[in-house]
Amino acid sequence: MVFAFLYLPILVLIVFSFNDSRFGATWEGFTLRWYGVLAARSDVREALGNTLLVALSSTVISTVLGTLVGLGLWRYSFRFRTGLTFLLVLPIVIPDVVMGVSLLMFYALVRSGLELTGWTFDNGFWTVMLAHVTFQISYVALTVRSRLAGYGPELEEAARDLGANGVQSFLRVILPLALPGVLAGALLAFTLSLDDFVVTYFTSGSGFRTLPVVIYTSVRRGVTPDINALSTLLVLFTVVAILVGNAILRPRRGRA
Amino acid sequence: MKRALLLIAALLCLTACRRVEPEDTGATSTPTARNDGRTLRIFMWSDYIDPEVVEDFERHEGVRVVIDTFESNEAMLAKLQGGGAAYDLATPSNYVVQTMVRAGLLQPMRKELLGNFGNIAAGFLNPNFDPGNTYTVPYQYAATGLAFNAKRYTPPQESWSLIFGPTDTVRFALLDDPREVIGAALKSLGYSVNSSEVEELRAARDLLRRTVAKRGFESFSGGPEIRNKLLAGSIDLGQIYVGDLLQGAAEDPNLKVFLPREGTTISTDTLVLLRSSPNPALARRFVDFVLDPEVSAAISNYTYYGNPNAKAQPLLDPFLRSQRAFNPTAEDFSSGRVEFINELPRGTTTRLYDRIWTELKAR
Repeated sequence: MVFAFLYLPILVLIVFSFNDSRFGATWEGFTLRWYGVLAARSDVREALGNTLLVALSSTVISTVLGTLVGLGLWRYSFRFRTGLTFLLVLPIVIPDVVMGVSLLMFYALVRSGLELTGWTFDNGFWTVMLAHVTFQISYVALTVRSRLAGYGPELEEAARDLGANGVQSFLRVILPLALPGVLAGALLAFTLSLDDFVVTYFTSGSGFRTLPVVIYTSVRRGVTPDINALSTLLVLFTVVAILVGNAILRPRRGRA
Repeated sequence: MKRALLLIAALLCLTACRRVEPEDTGATSTPTARNDGRTLRIFMWSDYIDPEVVEDFERHEGVRVVIDTFESNEAMLAKLQGGGAAYDLATPSNYVVQTMVRAGLLQPMRKELLGNFGNIAAGFLNPNFDPGNTYTVPYQYAATGLAFNAKRYTPPQESWSLIFGPTDTVRFALLDDPREVIGAALKSLGYSVNSSEVEELRAARDLLRRTVAKRGFESFSGGPEIRNKLLAGSIDLGQIYVGDLLQGAAEDPNLKVFLPREGTTISTDTLVLLRSSPNPALARRFVDFVLDPEVSAAISNYTYYGNPNAKAQPLLDPFLRSQRAFNPTAEDFSSGRVEFINELPRGTTTRLYDRIWTELKAR
């Protein structure tokens, strides 16, 4: 029953992407027309490119930074540790709208500061990408930290005893242990970036669209079938991404 | 840390203050904007312009048109107020225009520069949300009507009383929008949709309370959703934007819509020139292009939404012209039978509307 409720709407959406009717009100027969329309829409192609560009670059950055933060939280105890953990949880629990608007204000602030120096920028790829990094770091850092939570500092001490220097013990012992967490965090960060509408909408300036923005803003005035086709493709893509992710993660998990 | 926060607060204040400066007439642009004269950036509702019209303009001017979309007036406002998005034109609904003017987001349209401005029908000139059309040019409009599926149900009269009256057998759905629902109740009682009289609003509240308690009340829904419910036959009557219904009626002629005789609400989407516009001259050329009778008709023939362009009327799809609900007459406007939804005075009135709506939704 629960599965039916979860998946039926998606199924309906997939079926309607083959409906030969512009307004999708009635079933007018089978067609592949909307996939053609979709392929011809240069704005959608552009949005797809933007989405992937943002997702890939922000995932790389946030994975590196998030891993370092996660390791730091695990390895060292320092005065602001609780505070830092709190800061990491914040982007996860804070409503997207608040985050989007505050980032928008922040960029406006930076811009007006820069104006004094004669430099300036428009919101676009960079602002969206950095905005994504801000919430992705949290997810990566927390998955990395919880991955390592069971191990104590004695691991590194043991490595030192066996003659490894700092770099070696990090590369040979700690990183391999943390890797499943790093990959899981990266995958999470990537899908979050792919799906994000609210933060992207507010930080994207003009003319820089991603797929979720294109889809979400079409909903209110009735979904056109080419958007159904697009959503169908996205569902397929996500399913494939999850399958690939599982395939990558499973053997490593077994070894660790 | 504290000092940093203070600094941020101070800077925020500075940017905020700058945003409410009084409007001027200059075709200024923000320093962030790229004034290349080759790209026009429009912020509008999705699927709200015929793509061929856009291509024509691009060819005609040798420029690129970028259209970004929003899904609510509120989200549009938030993004524009935040800055960093240099759009030339936007399509707000009439009841947020004053808010945008107050926030200093708009620059005057200067209609004397638009050769085709004279094509606008008299009923849409000099609207009370923008006296003298200083900032806005009407783009498309939507009246709100009652729709039914003639294959399953024939209404005995064209009146709100089918829903608000004593009958309990009709199954119906209302729009998920406070101003539309409360407005309909006010209209059926013979009041203005923009009433701020406590007594009138109380009467509307009582009427709505009784109405949503009826067995036949199905839900508050969006326009396209109500259209689908009519098609499926799960409701007999649905409050709906005429444009949303006509999109369905083009495919299933059994779908019909009427404007109740007590009167109804109407809202216009307008074209406004943003203060942040990098290319105000190009933007004005686009507005003028849209005001061309053939272009304007092409847009309505694509969206099925109402057309405020007098010269475009003969060029409209015969199907649209045959629809009484698509074409409120000049008399409908002057008599107040169709009435624009206006921005409410702040304070008590807004709170009253909010309270009525919350109560209805929480029922």
